[in-house]
Amino acid sequence: MHNTFYICRRELTSFFFSPIAYVILAAWTVLMGFFYSGAFLSYAVVSMQLARNPQAAAQYNITPTSAVLEPVFSSVTVILLFVAPLLTMRLFSEEKKQGTIELMLTFPLRNGQLFAGKYLSVLFIYLIMLAITIVYPIILSAFVKVDWTIVSSAYLGMVLTGMAFLSVGLLASSWTSNQIVAAMLAFMILLATFLVEALAISAGEPLSSILRHLSLGMHLRNFIRGIVDTRDVIYLININLLCGFLVLRSLEYYRWRG
Amino acid sequence: MIRVENLTKYYGNLRGVTDISFRVEEGEVLGFLGPNGAGKSTTMRILTGYMPPNSGSAWVADINVSESPLEAQKNLGYLPETNPLYTEMTVRAYLNFVASMKGMSGTDKEAGIRRVVGSCGLEDVAHRLIGNLSKGYRQRVGLAQAMVNDPPVLILDEPTSGLDPAQIVEIRNLISELKGNRTLILSTHILPEVNMVCDRVVIIHQGRIAAEGALDTLAADMQSDSMIRISAVGVTDALSGKMKMVSGVERVELVGTSTGEEAHFDVHAKGGDDIRSDLVAAVFAAEGKLTEIRKMRLTLEDLFVRIVSGEQKHDEETVDEEPVNA
Repeated sequence: MHNTFYICRRELTSFFFSPIAYVILAAWTVLMGFFYSGAFLSYAVVSMQLARNPQAAAQYNITPTSAVLEPVFSSVTVILLFVAPLLTMRLFSEEKKQGTIELMLTFPLRNGQLFAGKYLSVLFIYLIMLAITIVYPIILSAFVKVDWTIVSSAYLGMVLTGMAFLSVGLLASSWTSNQIVAAMLAFMILLATFLVEALAISAGEPLSSILRHLSLGMHLRNFIRGIVDTRDVIYLININLLCGFLVLRSLEYYRWRG
Repeated sequence: MIRVENLTKYYGNLRGVTDISFRVEEGEVLGFLGPNGAGKSTTMRILTGYMPPNSGSAWVADINVSESPLEAQKNLGYLPETNPLYTEMTVRAYLNFVASMKGMSGTDKEAGIRRVVGSCGLEDVAHRLIGNLSKGYRQRVGLAQAMVNDPPVLILDEPTSGLDPAQIVEIRNLISELKGNRTLILSTHILPEVNMVCDRVVIIHQGRIAAEGALDTLAADMQSDSMIRISAVGVTDALSGKMKMVSGVERVELVGTSTGEEAHFDVHAKGGDDIRSDLVAAVFAAEGKLTEIRKMRLTLEDLFVRIVSGEQKHDEETVDEEPVNA
């Protein structure tokens, strides 16, 4: 337990020492701000028009939460597709490259503690990134009524989805000593889960729903609409468990091979 | 204190080490010698629990490494061949991290860090980033890291490789200071290092133990044969014929001739008797002019080379000097 904490703390210190931390955080903030202001401004226009046309307003049932926050929250998966590999790429591969993995693996430390420490460090960074975005619903609530239950279910979904993305990134990082290769591998795996979704559209049943269920990005949608479905929760947690298990296998293999 | 029994490790089809067994007693310094790729690092990695062996067992501080790796690792300080440093950390932060990982806390940890910073001469650089330090300082940080929890067993894999001569001497002195306190295994391919710090050596070659023993015993073995190099001007056949007749001479080899008809011979002799004056007399008897005579002595290098290449080689008597370049 202590060891996990020390590894996590060291990772965070190293992360904030490197410029990549600030580049990622800045890019995240700018992109999210861009999506939010776009959605906010278009809602301002649309709501004005709907106010003049009560018939259409009744037909479309547009709420501030669905019109402004839903697209912003949905865009998180797309940004994560790029950000998760960048956040996680160095976690194992840099240790392999610098030889510090030999230190880690000869400390009185279990492989699981090593994985947990690294996972928690990157999760902590992601939670900071999500925390920044809470200003958007707060700003929105200054003008209109925000449905906070939907917002909290959306955040639950974003945390779980992010965890799954990050664990895929960690897995890719444990495979190679090259950070770029790790990032590309993670990106390709994550991208593949998006492509699976595209295939699902053209495939017939029951293949279509199976493919849709396999897609990582899909599962956030229910959360954003305020639906917490246990199938989604279990799927996302299973991705974490699977990746964690494979990381431990990969570390064992690394020990064997030397 | 350290025990290794029948260790075998394969890398795929490649053989890392085969059936290696040895023991190190408490307080002893064992030199682990061998050419690059002989299996030194593999053995050390197995001892540290970094790598599991295919068969055989290892005990560190009398704890079986395979059965309870975490317990064994608590009693262990390890400096791998590639110095495992986080270049983005300061020396102090790095040592603090390592000490925490080894289960130290509070005043215990503070005292441990202060001790190694002092003994490794890191006071001046304690608050600098490791990435900005010279190679010598980095190596000291690596050593400090291994010693921070004052472990009973220290395993150092080529601690002086890649350093300049002055730094090598510094690190070597540091290691000498550790002697007596703890059990130490030190791998190297620099032989004088062994002469200076080790009580006992294990020579490993192609994954097997080629020779093992105390330095004195190995040195005594080396002295049993002697070789004398003679240069003389004269008829070569007559010279070698006369020299062969000297008692104790086993064989005479003509190793070369240089301008002025000077011939160089290697005379191999059995036993420890000094036969130089007899050889001089033999040269005169063959009506030759003696230009040079030198007694050669087998050194640790020779023994090493002989084991490694399977042939006998000799060197001059001046090997005990501190080498300028290693």
